[in-house]
Amino acid sequence: MSGSPKLAVQFDGVSKLLAGRQILDKLSFDVRQGETFVIIGYSGTGKSVTLRHMVGLMPPDEGSIRVENEEITTMSRRELEIMRRKFGVLFQSGALIAWLSLFENVELPLVEHTKMSRKKRAEIVQQKLEIVNLWQDREKYPAEISGGMKKRAGLARALALDPGIVLYDEPTSGLDPVIANEIDKLINRLKREHNMTQIVVTHDMDSAFEIGDRIGMFYKGSMIQIGTPEEIQTSTVPEVQHFITGGREGALSRRATTAIIRGVAPGMLSQRSLEAIKAEAPVATAEPGYVLLSEEEAEAAGVAPAEEPDFPTERDLAPEETEGPVETATQKPEPESLEPEESDT
Amino acid sequence: MNWKDNVISRALKGAGFTFVLLLEAIGHSTQLWHRRRAIFTQMHVIGTQSIPIASFFMLLIGMVFALQVGIEFARFGQTNLVGLVIVAAMVRELGPWMTGFVLIARVGSSMAAEIGTMRVAEEIDALEVMSINPASFVVMPRIVAYSIMGPVLTVVGTLVGIIGGGIVSNLQLGVTWADYLRFAEDGAEALDIYWGLLKSFVFSIAAASVACASGMKTEGGAVGVGRASRNTVVLSLTLVVFFNYLLTSFYRIVKMFVSGVI
Ligand SMILES: Nc1ncnc2c1ncn2[C@@H]1O[C@H](COP(=O)(O)OP(=O)(O)O)[C@@H](O)[C@H]1O
Ligand SMILES: [Mg+2]
Repeated sequence: MSGSPKLAVQFDGVSKLLAGRQILDKLSFDVRQGETFVIIGYSGTGKSVTLRHMVGLMPPDEGSIRVENEEITTMSRRELEIMRRKFGVLFQSGALIAWLSLFENVELPLVEHTKMSRKKRAEIVQQKLEIVNLWQDREKYPAEISGGMKKRAGLARALALDPGIVLYDEPTSGLDPVIANEIDKLINRLKREHNMTQIVVTHDMDSAFEIGDRIGMFYKGSMIQIGTPEEIQTSTVPEVQHFITGGREGALSRRATTAIIRGVAPGMLSQRSLEAIKAEAPVATAEPGYVLLSEEEAEAAGVAPAEEPDFPTERDLAPEETEGPVETATQKPEPESLEPEESDT
Repeated sequence: MNWKDNVISRALKGAGFTFVLLLEAIGHSTQLWHRRRAIFTQMHVIGTQSIPIASFFMLLIGMVFALQVGIEFARFGQTNLVGLVIVAAMVRELGPWMTGFVLIARVGSSMAAEIGTMRVAEEIDALEVMSINPASFVVMPRIVAYSIMGPVLTVVGTLVGIIGGGIVSNLQLGVTWADYLRFAEDGAEALDIYWGLLKSFVFSIAAASVACASGMKTEGGAVGVGRASRNTVVLSLTLVVFFNYLLTSFYRIVKMFVSGVI
């Protein structure tokens, strides 16, 4: 990683006007080969649009996009088709073909782009479906499975041709914590074992910190900060702070009951720490170090709802002891950062 | 003025998009064998499954038509000739476009909705990202299957309609089957049959292209899917009656030419 690392994707001054709104506004960032680059940002602001630009599904109004040093904005349709084989893309809803079984969905890229024998294809499909734990469901059709399973099957399909770069559009949203955690682990494994370049759009800050080599905060059409997880966690950029702490809480608190875990700062709520919550804080006490859980999470954790304040009070939020399971629990959020400045739907 | 410009330019754009998509799909017909499974599936959905409803429609239309013709012909004491008129009308007009209508209602609308759903669920994008051309993977099999099964269904529907006419003629008008069939033979010659099939082929291609194009152009979630489906029905029906007029006009010229009138 010393010197100048090779770049997988480069955005340079990319702008895009959609339906009269400047969705991308001189967006510039680089993704290095082999890294996991996480894009965070409010819903409906243009993260998916950014991914679509990366694979040439949308042309920019201006600016340059390079994939492995090749300018893609001027490519012909044929050239784009070849370029896209470098990518595997997991779409937000999985985007499985409805009339094909899971097996056939994962097999599809192999059927279309390789001359493999049926047997060889079946081997690869099995391998990919096993990675996402869906081999036993291979005969099922997309309409028969849950959203999380669709996403995992979509991931298996994205990996079918062993792409060098994988794009994930909100891979963990809507998944239960255990499976979300498994996806995170898988992303880390793909980086470790296959040196894949991975670009992940997510709202899930736990996931972002877990998988990201670098995190970029997308805001009003461009990246307002790009940094390591540590840098983002200790960011002094107000919008970033708001997003990773207040923004998240704001979004949750509307339907949240409070539950507690000691030593974890707000916004650092780990869906994965349910076990810890059960063990450590079975009941919502008045102890400091509150974390917000959604109703479902609280219910899953068996935590009784507290007195249901809309927001935790200052006192509730102040972490007293910071030796808890998350070492990043150092931040004390500004009270005003709890108010969502901008509704994110 | 502005309004007109908008409507006209949108219509032209839509027509252009549809036409280009059709050409693209035709360009991908080199993959006919590769896509055989999809084509057969579509042929089943479009054709086989439409046979009952199309037959039912055509049977009743043939029956009603026979009654109406019978009323008029009775005035001249020519009830025996109903077979001729029924067959002529069935083969040249009612068969092709009534089965066309049935297919649009049953298949065209759902085809647009299906592809529209694929569009809004990012499935079309996913195909493009996998470098699988949707014009080949989604559109071509549907247009091919539709344009095969449209004429097939027309043949079936026309026959059923003629049978329906025969039943009514026999039971209610007192025409013997022998007379019915004897005059029926005069109702259509080879050219008429080919022309009826040509009509059906044109209607099928038009309806399938419109359905696929509206589906591909869908935007705006479930509402957009509904809109695509509705637009498909309205537009395809319009195209069918329009092309039908053109083709009948052509037919008249060809018929006159063949019979030596011009
Ligand atoms: N094809 C399109 N035409 C017009 N507007 C679009 C299109 N695609 C996305 N948008 C708009 O761009 C904005 C950003 O969308 P998106 O990138 O999907 O957001 P997110 O950051 O949640 O992924 C949204 O307001 C959306 O309505
Ligand atoms: Mg999105």
